[in-house]
Amino acid sequence: MLSLRPVALLIFVAVASAQEVKFNRDVRPILSDKCFACHGPDAQNRKTPLRLDTAEGASVALAGGGKAIVAGDPSVSVLIQRVKSDDPIRRMPPAYQGHDKLSDREIGVLERWIEQGGEFEGHWAFTPPTRPELPQVERADWVRNPVDTFVMRGLERAGLQPSPEASKERLIRRVTLDLTGLPPTPAEIDAFLSDSSPDAYEKVVDRLLASPQYGERMASDWLDAARYADTNGYQSDGVRSMWRWRDWVVESFNKNLPFDKFTVWQIAGDLLPNRTEEQLLATAFHRNNRTSGEGGIVEEEFRVEYVADRAETTGTVWLGLTVGCARCHDHKYDPITQKDYYSLFAFFNSVPERGLVYNFGNDGPRMKAPTPEQKTKLAALAEEAKQAHAKWAALEPQVEKAQRAWEKSLEPNRDEFTREGLVARFALGDTLALEALTGVDDPDEDKSPVQPRPFTPMAFLTVRPSWTASATSTAAVGGFQYDDRFTVSLWMNPEKVDDAGVVSRMQDVDEGSGWGLLLHEGRLRMEFTMRHTDHSMRVETKRTLEAGKWHHVALTFEGKLPSHEGLTIWVDGEAWPFDVEWDDLKWPIGYRAYPFRIGAAAGRRFEGLVDEVRLYKRALSPEEIAALGVDAPLKTIAAKPVSERTPAEALKLRTAFLEDGLPPRLNVARFQAEEAERQRAAFEAAIPTVMVMRDMEEPRQAYVLNRGAYDAHGEPVSPNTPSALPPLPDGVKHDRLALAKWLVDPKNPMPARVTVNRFWQMLFGRGIVKTVEDFGSQGEWPSHPELLDWLAVEFVDSGWDVQHILKTIVTSNAYRQSSRTTPELLERDPENALIARGPRVRLPAPAIRDQALAASGLLNEKLGGPPVKPYQPAGLWEEVSSSSYKPDSGDKLYRRSLYTYWKRTIAPPAMTAFDASDREVCTVRQTRTNTPLQALNLMNDVTYLEASRKLAERMMHEAGPGPEARIERGFRLATAREPEQGEVRALEALYQKLLRDYRKDDFEAERYLAQGESPRDKSLDAAELASYAGVASLILNLDETITKE
Amino acid sequence: MTDQGLEITRRSFFGRTATGIGAAALSQMLGRDLQAKQGGAAEFGGLPGLPHFAPKAKRVIYLFMSGGPSQMETFDYKPRLMDFAGKDLPESIRGGQRLTGMTSTQKSFPVVPSKFSFQQHGQTGTWVSELLPHTAKIVDELCFIRSMHTEAINHDPAVTFFQTGSQIAGRPSMGAWATYGLGSESQDLPGFVVLITQGTGGQPIYDRLWGSGFLPTRYQGVKFRSVGDPVLWLNDPEGFEREQRRDWLDTLNTLNRRKLDEFGDPEIATRIAQYEMAYKMQTSVPELTDLSGESERTFELYGEDAHKPGTFAANCLLARRLAERGVRFIQLYHRGWDQHGGLPKGISRQCEDTDRATAALVTDLKERGLLEDTLVIWGGEFGRTVYCQGRLTPEDYGRDHHPRCFTMWMAGGGIKPGMTIGETDEYSYNVTADPVHVHDMQATILHCLGIDHEKLTFKYRGRYFRLTDVAGNVVDKILS
Repeated sequence: MLSLRPVALLIFVAVASAQEVKFNRDVRPILSDKCFACHGPDAQNRKTPLRLDTAEGASVALAGGGKAIVAGDPSVSVLIQRVKSDDPIRRMPPAYQGHDKLSDREIGVLERWIEQGGEFEGHWAFTPPTRPELPQVERADWVRNPVDTFVMRGLERAGLQPSPEASKERLIRRVTLDLTGLPPTPAEIDAFLSDSSPDAYEKVVDRLLASPQYGERMASDWLDAARYADTNGYQSDGVRSMWRWRDWVVESFNKNLPFDKFTVWQIAGDLLPNRTEEQLLATAFHRNNRTSGEGGIVEEEFRVEYVADRAETTGTVWLGLTVGCARCHDHKYDPITQKDYYSLFAFFNSVPERGLVYNFGNDGPRMKAPTPEQKTKLAALAEEAKQAHAKWAALEPQVEKAQRAWEKSLEPNRDEFTREGLVARFALGDTLALEALTGVDDPDEDKSPVQPRPFTPMAFLTVRPSWTASATSTAAVGGFQYDDRFTVSLWMNPEKVDDAGVVSRMQDVDEGSGWGLLLHEGRLRMEFTMRHTDHSMRVETKRTLEAGKWHHVALTFEGKLPSHEGLTIWVDGEAWPFDVEWDDLKWPIGYRAYPFRIGAAAGRRFEGLVDEVRLYKRALSPEEIAALGVDAPLKTIAAKPVSERTPAEALKLRTAFLEDGLPPRLNVARFQAEEAERQRAAFEAAIPTVMVMRDMEEPRQAYVLNRGAYDAHGEPVSPNTPSALPPLPDGVKHDRLALAKWLVDPKNPMPARVTVNRFWQMLFGRGIVKTVEDFGSQGEWPSHPELLDWLAVEFVDSGWDVQHILKTIVTSNAYRQSSRTTPELLERDPENALIARGPRVRLPAPAIRDQALAASGLLNEKLGGPPVKPYQPAGLWEEVSSSSYKPDSGDKLYRRSLYTYWKRTIAPPAMTAFDASDREVCTVRQTRTNTPLQALNLMNDVTYLEASRKLAERMMHEAGPGPEARIERGFRLATAREPEQGEVRALEALYQKLLRDYRKDDFEAERYLAQGESPRDKSLDAAELASYAGVASLILNLDETITKE
Repeated sequence: MTDQGLEITRRSFFGRTATGIGAAALSQMLGRDLQAKQGGAAEFGGLPGLPHFAPKAKRVIYLFMSGGPSQMETFDYKPRLMDFAGKDLPESIRGGQRLTGMTSTQKSFPVVPSKFSFQQHGQTGTWVSELLPHTAKIVDELCFIRSMHTEAINHDPAVTFFQTGSQIAGRPSMGAWATYGLGSESQDLPGFVVLITQGTGGQPIYDRLWGSGFLPTRYQGVKFRSVGDPVLWLNDPEGFEREQRRDWLDTLNTLNRRKLDEFGDPEIATRIAQYEMAYKMQTSVPELTDLSGESERTFELYGEDAHKPGTFAANCLLARRLAERGVRFIQLYHRGWDQHGGLPKGISRQCEDTDRATAALVTDLKERGLLEDTLVIWGGEFGRTVYCQGRLTPEDYGRDHHPRCFTMWMAGGGIKPGMTIGETDEYSYNVTADPVHVHDMQATILHCLGIDHEKLTFKYRGRYFRLTDVAGNVVDKILS
């Protein structure tokens, strides 16, 4: 409350002196805040026909007589009568609804406005910016670029003087922290100090913009806006992998990708003609929203939430509008109807996604996103595999010859083949003991109220006793998971095909947990279930199987998501098409003690004959399946002339030969070929993926949702942009690509303004429009409307050149001012909205840590890659969840904070303590608080204790002997300036005190130095180092150190 | 109302008011005697104009039973269920209720009565299950609400709804609202403290449940932990003594004061004050968590578990100590009430872990005269279904989430003792009298604290938000 008062006062002063009331600047904020809720854009909530957001609405004849606004005459304007009334029933806004009376100032503004004619204006932000004339200013000498003209104009109006330029040391520190998030090095400072050329500062700015750290710093804010995180966010907060997109953001800023491309690619890169991988990768922006993997949720409720998040994020980031306010009803303040909201929502409504997402990685749609290095490596591995294979293939004549010889030596009974990946084989000859198959039963099963039939396997009779009976494993085989690759192969001759369980590893009840192959009305059915209701798959072949005949049946499963995409059901060597009844399987199955069963599944039994059951831990190829379906023994095939063998027979024989008969000299080449392919495949499998946008072929119909409830469908809506903003061009398809292009159409009044305003906030700590997320009626009036428009037009005209705008601002005199303030100035302009001084703002959370790492020399400057886990107090994850945090070690501990693993439900505490966005939803507004927890963090977090010790080591190594020089060195590494004498004396006194203590007790010194993983420099005296570490810790805690000054 | 973003006038983490600049501000922040005598909540760093009316409760202790305790095994006695046992729940009772994805395709919904017996207790003759013998002894102090109902059917949205008034994360938590409005009476402890039972397992909980949402982050709950430092980073490192910290801090203050003189930024004055506050906390928090001064009698009351940091009993005892020190909002979480299966065994363990200390807390507060201005709340995020989830055997059963009715109790400041409000049908499936919605509960809690829930608002993204969203009615019947 108090914080607003001085600003309001300031505006009041300006108004009083100008004697002119501007509707948008002065009147609209009052009407919006106090009246619009009932007399504004929301038709449903309008109590009477009177509305005070449009001239027409305000001119209706009132039921009680008169008009709200009678131009030129406040005294007969009912609006004024009602706001001034002391009658609690008549007074507006109404006391009975808990509203306070308008202040005298507010009433005064309304009266003067009506006196001056009571004219309405459209809200300023909805009018496209035009390049304003540069105003005339008296202090033209102060103007370095147009930014200064507008700032000076504001100062002169307010009767203020600008501050002198900041010292060079402070200036280089300010701009380096702003553009890279890191402090300048002593060498950089020295170079700047000794460069007396007129463009010395510009050279620094160019160097910073060209440095890779620039992209990291810019990405940091963008990640807040994009609600980027490494976990899903709801409930068990499963993992995701979006870091390839994060790295893309860094690279894009470093390449200075024009902001219009940056926008179009992220919103709709997937829809661009001939889109590149990079453009698709960019669309991960809108897959960063929170998602839920909580069992039992109502899926549509959450899916709607995901879409809403995208619409609202787009509204905040590009439009600066609180579109979310129109989700349940028309917007109460801005001209955004509920239909507008759902029309925007509709652009994002056709992603082929579901409410319940995969909890253990990226849910679809997703793409493989190799890094450039990975791409190179993969190509090399593919080439190696190709060459190794060619070498092996070239040996074919010799292999053929060797096989002929081997065929002649084949034992008649031998029928071993396709052993690779074989985990169990039940040949089911006459010697097999039943126990081997039943294994340990689930002890809980017997307690079931629905008693299953006792397990009585009936199908182990084999018609071909020649097969060797040998089970390679007994009970605990077949515990397959949704992400495994596996094969089930068997022969069967069913007597009945209407309802039978064939093989399974599952709880032996209907819809039980596990997998099973069944027969249902003649069709082959596969079930794969974690929990029947929401984590399971069931498919059924379209064709039916004939009873009373032998068939070879196999399942090959490739562990894809959705599961059925990697499933093939083979019958007699042919892939049978199947219907997917449902497929939601994406959670591991706890198999407990369910046995692998032959002749049983899901409480159903088999009647007939089963033989040669095999389980593989890989998905066999079609040819291998065909070979398994050959029932002629090897010797029989070998006896046939080569030309008479079927391809399947030939492959069966070849497989057996390769496994058993290949001479070692040939086997080497085969092994090398297979090994090279294995390596290639393994590398490819480990390539990171990213969730990206895609639209379904048939768009999903969107509706106005009454009261915002997911299941309360109102009017159907199609994708469209908000009606108060320029329309999409005629004839274009209304899809995300159209929306994306519209977002960067210069005719759109919002995006350029909103974007340059965020840059201004980044540099000055406050936007030109303070409410960077809300340019609507309830937002704040811009401190410099013409400057905002000038920057916006300049941004577009420069080709959306981000670095150009940043450079324009940071090279202005406005930015270069000293940030010293006076009580008078503080009273007049506490937030520094008028820029009569330079910015003095506490650093953002990542910069505080990164600076400490940099100053101490610990910083690992590696760019990009998977997230890292730096130090964090032990037990934070464990005390509220079943997950546990294991910090990384080595140089991963010292990566920039941008790369810190972000778990949404338990965010990194040192970041949130310093007001980092929680990454739950889009955040563009900076908040800054000042708390004891921050003090405790900087005093006692191992991050800063270790950095203090390393900084102390630098002080001792890099500066000459004696405390004075060393303290000066440490001070400069953190603050970029030489300390003053008084400062050195105070620090030296502390040093001497600490030294006395540590001299007395070396053990205490060693304990103090034992913070963090890095070893202390043993060449240094413990007492001295500990004392310097105490001083260094203080330096890192200085207000100046954690502040951009 | 204050806006988010730049905080020009800073109230400290503990809610001290800081006005003016430089040395004057500093002395104001550091010395209570120099506090501006604004009266009301402003004196404690809350908002001017609050409380809206005379509060009955100065503070809240909220025992959150995370996971959804079954009302049928605890407080909602349904003797007729024995007659319906094993039969399908009539469709007329279920009434098209939406079910969770876990039972929505279950083929039958057999009614399962509580395996545990109930008896009447106290002068009020309140029915309580045998699982809660200690709570049974204090029923005359409690006000039972058997007619709670919510909108959410899954943990994350349901807990978030209870703690923030919205199912979708992002709003400030109840404790954040309370300290934002009222500040804190404690000088050297945070106004909003969170204590979490360790080792129970169960559904996870999330930082956002005690987060500040769009309120400034200083209103977020501070976890007092049983592992490591009780407050994050509280303890000085090994080899760095208390006296050294004092010297260190004096030097830091000297340098920061020089900076303040030179730059005139009031932020620096606040920073100095916050370092002093941190220094104070380094003694006040260990003093708080040191239970060695507690009497034998106390441990008899709370049980031996109270000796073990991180247990529910130890947290209840800490809650009393926090209440004594004027902490505004004390939030306990006890996880593990989510019995989809194996309910009899699971809920017995939960009750064993919590019953004694819960009753002890109420008794202890009463004996110390604290109950009259401390509001104690017990409850979970929803109830459980009368029908069985999964396998039903004579010995074992489970229950799914049930949003339509469940029981909570309140006690202490502002609440009538020894009463029960609300009724459910014979199946404990629907509320039949005096429904109390989550927003009503929130409105009532704020009311006890002297806050009109419709008036405690915060402007964010152009809209005035409040804990109770656009709903909530104070439950007048239970007010004392």
